[in-house]
Amino acid sequence: MTTVTHPPARATTTPTRRRARPRSGQGTYWLYLVPGAVLFIGVIVVPFFMNLYYSMTRWPGIGEPRWIGFDNYTRLFADDTFWLSFRNSVAMIVAMVVVPTLVGLLLAAVLFDYLGKRFDGRVASGLRATYYLPQILPVAVAGILWGWVLNPQTGALNVILRNLGLESWALNWLGDTGTALPTVMLVMIWVQVGYPVVIFMAALQRVDPELYEAAELDGAGWFRRFRAITLPQIKPETFVVTLTCTIAALKVFGPIYVLTKGGPENSTNVPSYFAYQNFFPKSQVGYGAAIAMVLTVIVIIVSIIFMRVQAASERKEGI
Amino acid sequence: MTRRRHGRLVAGLLVLPLALAACSGGTDDTDGGDEGTGGETAATEGGTLKLWHYESADGAMGIAWDEAIKVFEEETGATVEFERKAFEQIQQTAGMVLSSDEGPDIMEYNKGNATAGLLSSQGLLTDLTDVAEERGWTDMLPESIQTTARYENGVMGSGPWFGVPNYGEFVTVYYNKAMFEEYGVEVPTTLTEMEDVMDTFVAAGVVPLGMAGAEYPAGQLFYELALSKADRDFVSAYQTYTDDVDFQADPLKYGAETFDAWVKAGYVAQDSASIKAEDMGVAFINGTTPMIVSGSWWYGRFVSEITGFDWGIFNFPGNTLNAGSSGNIWVVPENSANKELAYEFIDITMRPEIQALLGNNGGLPLNADPADLTDPKSQELITAFNEVLDNDGLAFYPDWPVPGYYDVLVAAFQSLINQSKTPEEVLTEIGTAYDDGVANIG
Repeated sequence: MTTVTHPPARATTTPTRRRARPRSGQGTYWLYLVPGAVLFIGVIVVPFFMNLYYSMTRWPGIGEPRWIGFDNYTRLFADDTFWLSFRNSVAMIVAMVVVPTLVGLLLAAVLFDYLGKRFDGRVASGLRATYYLPQILPVAVAGILWGWVLNPQTGALNVILRNLGLESWALNWLGDTGTALPTVMLVMIWVQVGYPVVIFMAALQRVDPELYEAAELDGAGWFRRFRAITLPQIKPETFVVTLTCTIAALKVFGPIYVLTKGGPENSTNVPSYFAYQNFFPKSQVGYGAAIAMVLTVIVIIVSIIFMRVQAASERKEGI
Repeated sequence: MTRRRHGRLVAGLLVLPLALAACSGGTDDTDGGDEGTGGETAATEGGTLKLWHYESADGAMGIAWDEAIKVFEEETGATVEFERKAFEQIQQTAGMVLSSDEGPDIMEYNKGNATAGLLSSQGLLTDLTDVAEERGWTDMLPESIQTTARYENGVMGSGPWFGVPNYGEFVTVYYNKAMFEEYGVEVPTTLTEMEDVMDTFVAAGVVPLGMAGAEYPAGQLFYELALSKADRDFVSAYQTYTDDVDFQADPLKYGAETFDAWVKAGYVAQDSASIKAEDMGVAFINGTTPMIVSGSWWYGRFVSEITGFDWGIFNFPGNTLNAGSSGNIWVVPENSANKELAYEFIDITMRPEIQALLGNNGGLPLNADPADLTDPKSQELITAFNEVLDNDGLAFYPDWPVPGYYDVLVAAFQSLINQSKTPEEVLTEIGTAYDDGVANIG
């Protein structure tokens, strides 16, 4: 009874303060966003619109840009290398998102459910760190390392294969148009797989163990528990991994630069490297900006789609 | 609800770069960094010369320029504020840096239409014509070397001086004398003899010619082959657009077809499309490759690193024209605050004693007193270079004519090494890119 009658009494005594408090709170709240907003405008919004402007100019990088409207975009959509680079982006998504996510899920589940419970916890931690190691290596170092390993004449891989009598398996890994892209994809899987493993293992630690115990008591096997409990429980992390890695795959540059420079014969070229080629060696900054613009728009669209799907999924599950 | 979702979207976009940094495995950061941070204090008139170059400290030019800096400081009383840059760092940021007031007073820069030519056409480089005449540089440097100093509307070969070259470079054939002896072959003097030598190696199961399809060596071999059928008019047409260039006719047709034939004959390894120049050089240093066709920039390194066998050079058999040019050039930015000091420094690098130092460390001096060049190995290189100069034989490099042509040539000759395209297709590809590039320049 008291609780029902008391609030009106307070309301009548402090009507002004009640209205003022939320306003002042909101003002403080927005203040915290100012540094981020300034950075966002300076680092993303302004360069974005500058890039949009340059993409509609013919400009060698110095002097005055010459306005040419949509000519760069018209040229871009008729450029075979541009389309080839986007086809290669799909291969990069397979190598940097699909395979690492699936393998990462499996590895994380095995490390957490099996090795973590049957062995000393340090075994699982050690293995997790091992998988993550390629993520720590600077991409230039990893690229040079793989360049040595995959050298067709003196590389470790071909030397081992030849010593084993498998001469026909010793291929020109990064130099043949048929093998270069799959080889780069394998290297990218090696680079990427540790990231989902670490994220998924962290996610698994927050899943309520009682769910597994209850399922085990009900006679659910490992795969059933994995499908019915693990996968749904770590869905938010799966979204984060797939979103961030898809964007990374779309804009991958470093590994291509170090491993193949887009070759041989453009067979491993990707949009960001293609943009770089135009920005710097070719001094066609306007055209490079157009490529970067298209890539940016695609990344934004992909991000929005992912976020909407995630939001819809959360709504459906009442999170 | 809608506002909440929008808020989440904005927040998501804000944190996205952080997450991506974790996911993407990083990016190459080698060319960022210290542009425009050229020292604690700005250059003061007459007191400080801000100098950038990208020669390695232990290379011929690095050694010579270090000495020049020392002499300059002693003679002028000025201080040199030196920064060693990476080649690509200067290549990719020169336009922006020189447009600002953060640039150096003098800088080493790459010669050619797409580099020094482009900067000169934008008014970023000082016209050095009068200084070159006053200080006698015009008399010191051979005519073909001066080509890279002069730019008319951004195209090299004529017009005012915008850069000063003071060393040379050219493409020659390095050979392993021990292997030649082992397989009983002599240094060839004609292309036919060269092919005979290579046949001998192929018959013995040795790939005779080192190659690096991922970088410049393939394009340079193609160009050397084309030059065997070319004359100075072709070089002028190809490099400075004095006439149309027919890519489906000799000499370029001969170059591509012979390159293709050499791959088919096993003279060039068919698995070399992804090999980098460094690997090709190391294979020669290790004594596994009998010959490489490459630039004089390897010479000093080979002198210091090849210890297990005797080696030498001979110019591409039968050619009077060879890929080569001046080395990189000194440029004085238009915004330089100390131009007179910059001219004085260039003058010192031209002195015979500095040039001799360069020559005795594996470089190719342009103004050295022959009596000062005492190192026998360096004499061998300089003799071969003088042979090219005497023939007015510097034909520059195949990727110079248009910006971005380097990548076009690399991709094209990877196709020939992999045998995935015919010479005709390759010629069409590089011809189209050339025509587009020339049209853009025009």
